[in-house]
Amino acid sequence: MAQPFPYTYYACDCFDSTTTTASKRASQVLAAAAEEDERDFDPRSPRSNYSLFPLEHLLYCEDCQQIRCPRCVIEETLNWYCPSCLFEVPSSVVKSDGNRCTRNCFNCPVCTAPMTTNSLDTSGDNGPPYILACPYCHWSTVEIGIEFEKSTGISSQLARVANGGKHIPTQKERDKERERKKELEERRREGRAVMSPSEESPTTDTEREEVAPSHDELFANLGAFYKSQMEAQTPSNPFSSHDINYSSPSAYSRIVNLYSSTTSKKNKRNKHTPFREAGSALEGLTIHDSAADAAAIERIKREGWGSTLSPSTKHAQINPNLRFDNELRPLATLLCTKRSKRCRSCRHILSKPETKVTSTRYKIKLLALNHIPRLSIRALPLNINPAQQQPLAPPARPESAFNYNGLKSGIPTHFLLHLSNPLFDPIRVTLATPSTTPGKVQSRITILCPQFDVGANTDVWDDALASTLSPINRTSLINDAGQIEAGKIWDRGRNWTSVVVEVVPGFLKPVAFPVLAEDGKGGGEAEGDDGGLDEDEDVLEIPVFVRIEFEADVVAEERGLGVSVGGGDAKKGEGGAREKREVAFWTVVGAGRIAPL
Amino acid sequence: MSAQPTPSRPTDPRRTSHLQKRASLLPKPSSITLDPSVLIAQHAQLTGTHPITIGPASVLHPHSKISSASAPVVLGPGVIIYERAKVGLGMGEGTEAESRRSSMAESRRGSRIEGARGEGTVLGRNVVVETNAVVEAAEVGEGSVVEVGAYLGRGCVVGRFCTIGAHCKVPDNTHLPDYTVLFGVAERRVDRTLLLRPEVQEMRTAFHTKQLDAFRRLLPNNIAKWT
Repeated sequence: MAQPFPYTYYACDCFDSTTTTASKRASQVLAAAAEEDERDFDPRSPRSNYSLFPLEHLLYCEDCQQIRCPRCVIEETLNWYCPSCLFEVPSSVVKSDGNRCTRNCFNCPVCTAPMTTNSLDTSGDNGPPYILACPYCHWSTVEIGIEFEKSTGISSQLARVANGGKHIPTQKERDKERERKKELEERRREGRAVMSPSEESPTTDTEREEVAPSHDELFANLGAFYKSQMEAQTPSNPFSSHDINYSSPSAYSRIVNLYSSTTSKKNKRNKHTPFREAGSALEGLTIHDSAADAAAIERIKREGWGSTLSPSTKHAQINPNLRFDNELRPLATLLCTKRSKRCRSCRHILSKPETKVTSTRYKIKLLALNHIPRLSIRALPLNINPAQQQPLAPPARPESAFNYNGLKSGIPTHFLLHLSNPLFDPIRVTLATPSTTPGKVQSRITILCPQFDVGANTDVWDDALASTLSPINRTSLINDAGQIEAGKIWDRGRNWTSVVVEVVPGFLKPVAFPVLAEDGKGGGEAEGDDGGLDEDEDVLEIPVFVRIEFEADVVAEERGLGVSVGGGDAKKGEGGAREKREVAFWTVVGAGRIAPL
Repeated sequence: MSAQPTPSRPTDPRRTSHLQKRASLLPKPSSITLDPSVLIAQHAQLTGTHPITIGPASVLHPHSKISSASAPVVLGPGVIIYERAKVGLGMGEGTEAESRRSSMAESRRGSRIEGARGEGTVLGRNVVVETNAVVEAAEVGEGSVVEVGAYLGRGCVVGRFCTIGAHCKVPDNTHLPDYTVLFGVAERRVDRTLLLRPEVQEMRTAFHTKQLDAFRRLLPNNIAKWT
């Protein structure tokens, strides 16, 4: 985890539910879940990499009373809009016209910057002709030979013009052309006798134009062909089980009917012709033409490699067969969406932005920041001389900032764990951590005060008026030997408390101890250690299990459910009174990196 | 460093000395050739001992820096130097590790001819050097734009109507042909629109002239300091 130290990650339990319940039976699931609870959280296991998140990334479901990570939320799109013109596109239009802006917004094919409409009119007033120009890389439609007559409705003008100014026929014109060509084909085929050898082949026929159909034309032909095939297949009776209807979901019955050969169906089957594939360019078939390849090679020889497209430019284009930079087309801007997030288990909406495109606010925003205490850690350099009376914070000696990248093995280091409570009720916190960190480098962790209270997140004025807390005299925490007393918190404020954690970083390499030395610190006697440590094994990560208990007002359940789902023991109070709630989760606190000796 | 312009203050009768409060530490460059139509704004800095030539109708914005410490600098007609732009050899500190030391070595070594071009920075007509750009190049062709934060190493030769994109770094002794556009991290292409359509060039030049006119009206001219 390449983060600046110190950091705190929260573990989401989502990975349990998807893997274990799917494969095991119910009894096994319970056993496995119990096992998970007792096992300490190992931040080094590969699976934990996917379930650790900083607090800002997490949402909180109030019904389930659990944190929800980005993996256990379901997203739904609210609306679609264009990021350039901020026009909201209705979803029905998106389904028919596609996910790109159909007005005037285009991106440069070379550098993907938004393009502007410029006038080529030299007289000064902005009249026609117009071009699309990129202000960043200075590409413009002049380079592909396209100019526009109007400055609005660019995408419709662009659809009508091919590169170089040639005219692209519209859908209707194409259909008419196709019909006309088909009729020519039919007549020619009838006119030609089957047995007589014919010298003329369709390809040398001079009636036909030799222009290869473009990518869009072929696609339109193919679409029309399949549509006609499906129309030919549609039986008069849609519910008949004998005939095959390709556009209905009874495809399964179709396949079954094909392979079941009962005599009674044979006469019906003779009626329909098999669904065939496209057979010619008029029907959308693309035949590889090596002459086109040879022409492309000649062109590269002539114009140089610089005239070809780079892979990223090529893949961004709609037509996949483009190779040269005078075949580029401006890219219509992709539409963006606004999405709302729901809890995966109870479908409660966790985050819902406002539908208005230009506003960034949220109608519903259930963040973990507002429900889960924030844990943070920092080093506590202990330079306090017990003889001096220094009740304030550790002396701010600016000599050296604590080096989080150079923790010393074997030397007890103190850290300050700071918990701040976002709830409006005071909470009681219990912390737990395994005595040694999991992994190759074993460091000893001791939390000096594992159970404490944190105040409610009330207003500042309420607190000032009603405060009964006495300021903490910190020297009382340190006894004569200079060690911090266990069982006492370090400091507290209105809605936060801090406690001390003592860490003895482990040794990175197995230290060869003489036989007599009995040393409990650090796992330095690991035998048969394989040479070096993996990357980031020297990072000191402390798994901390946090359990908070508090009393909250019972929320009237609108859905009529009387049972509140808690994380642990939830006792229902009588009619509207307080309810005891408990939330528990694992966190991983990154304290620093252990320096090699 | 050139002198800070003294703030206009009514003369205090208690003052006994008439010396300026802050005297300049370096002498004014001995040879500055200015066309009378040049606009030099306040706080523009021209330093160095080699000759500086500024062509007609040029505009130097406040806090622009021209240094001829190592080699002469020539600005063509209609050149615009924006704020905090630096023109001249030896101006790019931090971009090269030994730039300071090398510029000292340069002056000690005397004249050093590189190729046929000789030392010095020449900006062609209508060149625009935008904010925070550093131009140590040997030559920048007519109509080129050096965008915000760009860096042109020494000895560069940039063609006409080029565009050096924002924050692009051009290494030393690079030759950029006419109509090149540098953008992105290390990409370049030829601006064919400008190439193919002379009317686009004309429109750009007309816009540039309008800009010069607007600056002339907006910026107070401090040219008297340098003549």
